[in-house]
Amino acid sequence: MFGQAVTYGRVLEFAISETIDKSQQWILSAMQRHGPELVTMLWRILGNEQDVCDAYQNTFLQLAHYQNRQKPKHIKAYIFRTASNVAVSMLRHRIAERERLSITIVPKKLISSPANEFDSKCLQETLRCCIARLPEYLRNVITLRDLAELSYTQIGRMLGISAATARVYRCKAIQLLSVWMSKKEREIQ
Amino acid sequence: MKKASTNKSTTFSDGLKEGKINKCRRIRGWLHEALRSHFSLNADWVQNHIANCPKCQRRFSSVSRVNLALSLIKSQPHKLDLLMRANTQAIGVLKHSLREAPKAQKLKAMQPEPKLLEICSIHKHSAANVAACIAILFLMKTGIFSFTDTVQTQGQKAVKQYYINQVGEDLASDIFHG
Repeated sequence: MFGQAVTYGRVLEFAISETIDKSQQWILSAMQRHGPELVTMLWRILGNEQDVCDAYQNTFLQLAHYQNRQKPKHIKAYIFRTASNVAVSMLRHRIAERERLSITIVPKKLISSPANEFDSKCLQETLRCCIARLPEYLRNVITLRDLAELSYTQIGRMLGISAATARVYRCKAIQLLSVWMSKKEREIQ
Repeated sequence: MKKASTNKSTTFSDGLKEGKINKCRRIRGWLHEALRSHFSLNADWVQNHIANCPKCQRRFSSVSRVNLALSLIKSQPHKLDLLMRANTQAIGVLKHSLREAPKAQKLKAMQPEPKLLEICSIHKHSAANVAACIAILFLMKTGIFSFTDTVQTQGQKAVKQYYINQVGEDLASDIFHG
């Protein structure tokens, strides 16, 4: 009798695990559907291939463990926001590490021509540093609009704001970035 | 009687409302147009001001530096196998059943593919040219046929008129209508 109960228990456990596994197939579907766009966005935020892979892995790991392995309502929004947050925290960590090692990431002279690769890389790094410093509501818009190339309507839906508000936030973000970047340039000079 | 008058009044008020809405739309359009012509970056007074204001020039150059940096970031290419590597690494930490799924094997070998719109945009100009040629041919064909029809009917009318004048209406109608 006891043996039979154990067997039934095992069968039930197996069946439950199978249903969970089946329901989690959506993770692979999400990876297939949004993976390329996500990699592009992460590459643009981080600019380092290994970091991109780490952030990507972290994002899908968080997705797999989201609220007792449940499927989020708006997967695309969840994935993009998580990936952006993960990437920005990695970026901040990288900046802090560089500052700790007292390596100046900005060279003495800012960009003179886009053809000069070294200078253009520094300009990109400066922008990345400034993006990491932005307040969350502005950073979300700038990463989703300019780095993930999503439309304002999509961004609005993802962040729970209107498309017009997203537009205004982007404008503010650009203004702030321009002020910070010129300040950095002046500091160097 | 009352009903008819109320119906009339409602239709009248509806018409008034529609008229107002249309007027509003028109005014909004004019306002938008006026604002765009007076306050856009291409407006003469804006261009003149920027040319003579060092503060605005600085602001402009700093904003354009941000835009330049953004476009530099966007134009930076990554290796083609990055998506494959990222997928492989991410699948590696998922549970066994997901790792072994056939979809996972596909994802591990996945490469970025251009979107359908991007593919189509390459052939956009040639498609537009072909469409334009087809449209021209169609218009020409329609024009030629309608022109031939007109010539035929006009010719028939002229000949009939000639016969009417020469042999009379009865005989002419016999000739033309059998």
